[in-house]
Amino acid sequence: MITTEQLRTCVSEGLERIKKIKNVVEAEVFASWNEQIVNRLNYTSDIPCQGVQEPKSIQFYGVGVLAAFKSGNKIKVGFGSEPNDLSVRGVLEALKKARMNKISDPDYKSLPEPQGTPTLTNYHDVNVMEISDEKVVNLGWQALEGTLSSYSAKGFSKSLIVGGDVTIFKERMAIRNTRGIDDFDETSILTATITSMIEDEGVKGTGWNTATHLDKFKPEEAGKEAAESAIRTIGGQRIASGAYDVIFGRQPVTDLVGNLIAPSLSLISVNASDTPFLRKLGQRVCSPNITVYDDGAMPGQIGSKRITCEGIPTGRTDLITDGIITGFLTNDYYNKKLQSNLASFTPRNGFRFSLGGRNYNMQTKVSPTNVVIEGREEIPDKELLSLVKEGIYIGRIWYTYPVNGLAVGDFTSTIVADSYLIKDGKLLAPLKPNAVRINSNINHVLNNIIGITKEKKATLVWGGEEVVVAPEIAVKGVRLDSIANESTSFES
Amino acid sequence: MSREKVSFMNLLFSLFDLTSRIIAFILYSVNFTRIGTVYMPRIKVEVIDSIKDAAYSAIEYASTLKDSKYADLRVGVSESKTAHSENGTAKGMSEDYGFSFGVRVVAGGMGAWGYYGQPLGVSDLRGKKIEKVFKNSLKTAYNRAVANASGRQRTLCSLNQRGETSLSTALTEVKLAKIDVRQDTFKISFEKDPRAIALNDVLELNTDVSRQMKGISAEVRFAYTGIYTGIIRELFCSSEGARIDQIVPLTQGIIYVVAQQADKAPEMYVDYLGDLKGWEVLEGKNVHKLSFLDFALLRTKETVELAGAEFLKSTNEPVVVVTNPHFNTLLVHEIVGHPTEADRVLKMETAYAGRSWFFRGFDNNQLGKQVASKLVSAYSDPLTEGYGHYKYDAEGVPAKKVSLIENGILKGFMNSRETAAILDQEPNGSMRATDPVLVPLVRMTNTFFANGSRNPEEIIAEVKDGYYIANHKIPSISESRENFRITAQKVYKIENGKLTKLYRSGGITADSKDFLMSIDAVGNDFAIFPIPNCGKGQPMQTMRVGNGGPTLRGKARLTGC
Repeated sequence: MITTEQLRTCVSEGLERIKKIKNVVEAEVFASWNEQIVNRLNYTSDIPCQGVQEPKSIQFYGVGVLAAFKSGNKIKVGFGSEPNDLSVRGVLEALKKARMNKISDPDYKSLPEPQGTPTLTNYHDVNVMEISDEKVVNLGWQALEGTLSSYSAKGFSKSLIVGGDVTIFKERMAIRNTRGIDDFDETSILTATITSMIEDEGVKGTGWNTATHLDKFKPEEAGKEAAESAIRTIGGQRIASGAYDVIFGRQPVTDLVGNLIAPSLSLISVNASDTPFLRKLGQRVCSPNITVYDDGAMPGQIGSKRITCEGIPTGRTDLITDGIITGFLTNDYYNKKLQSNLASFTPRNGFRFSLGGRNYNMQTKVSPTNVVIEGREEIPDKELLSLVKEGIYIGRIWYTYPVNGLAVGDFTSTIVADSYLIKDGKLLAPLKPNAVRINSNINHVLNNIIGITKEKKATLVWGGEEVVVAPEIAVKGVRLDSIANESTSFES
Repeated sequence: MSREKVSFMNLLFSLFDLTSRIIAFILYSVNFTRIGTVYMPRIKVEVIDSIKDAAYSAIEYASTLKDSKYADLRVGVSESKTAHSENGTAKGMSEDYGFSFGVRVVAGGMGAWGYYGQPLGVSDLRGKKIEKVFKNSLKTAYNRAVANASGRQRTLCSLNQRGETSLSTALTEVKLAKIDVRQDTFKISFEKDPRAIALNDVLELNTDVSRQMKGISAEVRFAYTGIYTGIIRELFCSSEGARIDQIVPLTQGIIYVVAQQADKAPEMYVDYLGDLKGWEVLEGKNVHKLSFLDFALLRTKETVELAGAEFLKSTNEPVVVVTNPHFNTLLVHEIVGHPTEADRVLKMETAYAGRSWFFRGFDNNQLGKQVASKLVSAYSDPLTEGYGHYKYDAEGVPAKKVSLIENGILKGFMNSRETAAILDQEPNGSMRATDPVLVPLVRMTNTFFANGSRNPEEIIAEVKDGYYIANHKIPSISESRENFRITAQKVYKIENGKLTKLYRSGGITADSKDFLMSIDAVGNDFAIFPIPNCGKGQPMQTMRVGNGGPTLRGKARLTGC
């Protein structure tokens, strides 16, 4: 394991050495060590299985150098990296690659400058950093036993499926550049996301538990929640195709944010002219009841970091305020490129996420952190149900994509679990999973808000990069189509 | 959070930032260059030759550990060049190596899996360090396997003591189907060695192509290009004695274009050229038979035309649709390829990529039953050219052509050694990992609808009233792949056998079996296209696969705006 001190020494000594090299106009040295440990579960009561299928990890460290070189009358910029070597020699090898890879990019203005002071301190857990292999594996078995004991208590033992994972992220990084940035960060994250099915009943349930500290991590709770949710939805009914008032639960809200809203609010999409919010800064784009912001400095949230991978303190970036576009997610490069013809935003979202960590071998892209959805008028969950009166509660959706491109806003997905019919403002009966496809448009969703709940929960979806602090949101007139008829579906 | 997601922008990043350095592997002999007073070796694909003994020694060491039942090690190296550009402006280039390894161990009294993986660098080649790194990693994987086996034993005891034996009986030790253990080498040849292409030439082609794309019309708002060219070598060795060394070239170009007319919504399209070949791919030796420039300009012109087209309207009832080979590439991928992966079949992907509409259980499945029109056959064949071409999979299993559907009857699944043992089948060599650092998964290879006998022009000419669905765009598939909505780049109205009006933002939706059963004509224009970004697993792996087929005619509902 590499310590933060080793990373700080690497960037400090490395940058001092680079400063002495002729033709280097400015430089940034980024060093990181990361480990992602995943316990993947697979339990099938009617098929031979392993229970905890894959206790595995990826561990990596190294150094990346971004440098601007004087090349005749021009400035050229290049990036290079070197794995597994934090010595000055490793930094110089990365610099050599940066020199070889240098290009003339007229949109490159400068390296990031120091901005403000980080607010998060000592928010990681040393117990996570030093967790043993045995403890890691046992967390997976805890999650599985949580699910199985819940099924057993209700008398279910056949056609059960339990999947998902217990995952631990450990991240350490340090950064220093010639413009004065000199900082470091350490992060620990624990997540348990469990999916469970009773296939004979055609039901699926999900549960999740997240923490930044080991003593607050309860993977068995995620397992129980998954089983109980599946049991609650036994006896699901089909619905006819049509437009329905719906409540999007926290997982669907997260899926919509991750695949449609957050990408549309990134300057990368603005740069590509591929967002429904192009040239909409300062304009109303949705219901005045909606506010969206990104905040990477929220205490206790698993999407929080002390600084970005450019060394900028994390914090709140307002994106939509009372229905009006007020900002975009950005890193330093896109902010400087577009500030002359758009506006300047604080670059609080320049991260190098890949392979389950802050990867030294890539330049920053734009990534959300904790995306928070708020309502101007928020109400309790039960009141939201009564507002809808008659419709569908959607608890989990799947494969949500902007099928005609982000800018058009059309999206589709299927309802796969945790969902109910609503009648007279109450949950009437479960909805049959995998039998309804949503065909709608994100602009329709954002402009037809009925209500937003006060209670929010940090939520993750598979493959998602961001954490969404998600409420439940009721929307009027969403198109739902009945799919997978009895003759073509194997579900009972 | 730091998990990856498959989206267009992340696809671009994954191709041109990750792939060039991490998803690559192959080595070269040490070749010293001078940096100031420091001498650094360059990693090249030949390095594999110098670390084979260390890998074999480490595997032998793993076999000596108590209750060790199986171990394997994959180590890979790549040399690659990448570049990307926007609107004629250079945005980045890179020449670098990738070097990484991963190990798997089955150990413990009740044999369980344990894994470990990490990237490697020049510093790992000093002295005998590499052997130590391999052995330490195998020990870590072994410790996890032993802890995992203990956890399973403990859970079993606990369930049995509570009288919950019906929950405990499924928990078993790992069983791997027997294979023909091989020692072999395999190399895919190429015409123009990616290593011989100058990095600046890669960048110049990029900037020239994106500049010409942008110059087509003022309505082109964004023109992006990216190129990867490289060579990948991977060594596999196992405690059973497998010693397999494979080397493949990979060259790929991607375009991303956005066009907008007046105040209409922007139209975007992403497409790629690629093959397991050298630089010649970008000069026209690809499925499109177009140079990268001509391919990019064609797609750009189409996008500009589409930006002014009328939006397609959805239909409530199925209509006659003719789908072209490019569209069927994604169709076969989603509704036949994924559900015939044995890990999905056995519910192992339930929490992530989903299950399979072909298999509910051992006594309730579609094997041997009609799932498509008698005109439809589908295969997965890693022995043919395409993105899914190889001789041995990531478990050292010899690759085989797998019959998935024959004349409409479901015949079999792509599998791994573990899933083959559960299904009581022979392993067919379908396990792959995006990088040795990641665990292998059951993956499509070159998976396609088989060729038919009809002239595609005749298939269209027979349609009095229908739609021509051309080139895939974006999919959304139901959890068990039993229903799909896939959008197309272009949709044309067919009237009296002729293509007439062009529509944008259209596609088709249907229950998978309904669509497959409705197919009444299969063309003779078979082609395999590259899919570079198939997402699966946790953490998600983005794999390249080959998919394709001929023109098909069937019935589906139209989707639109």
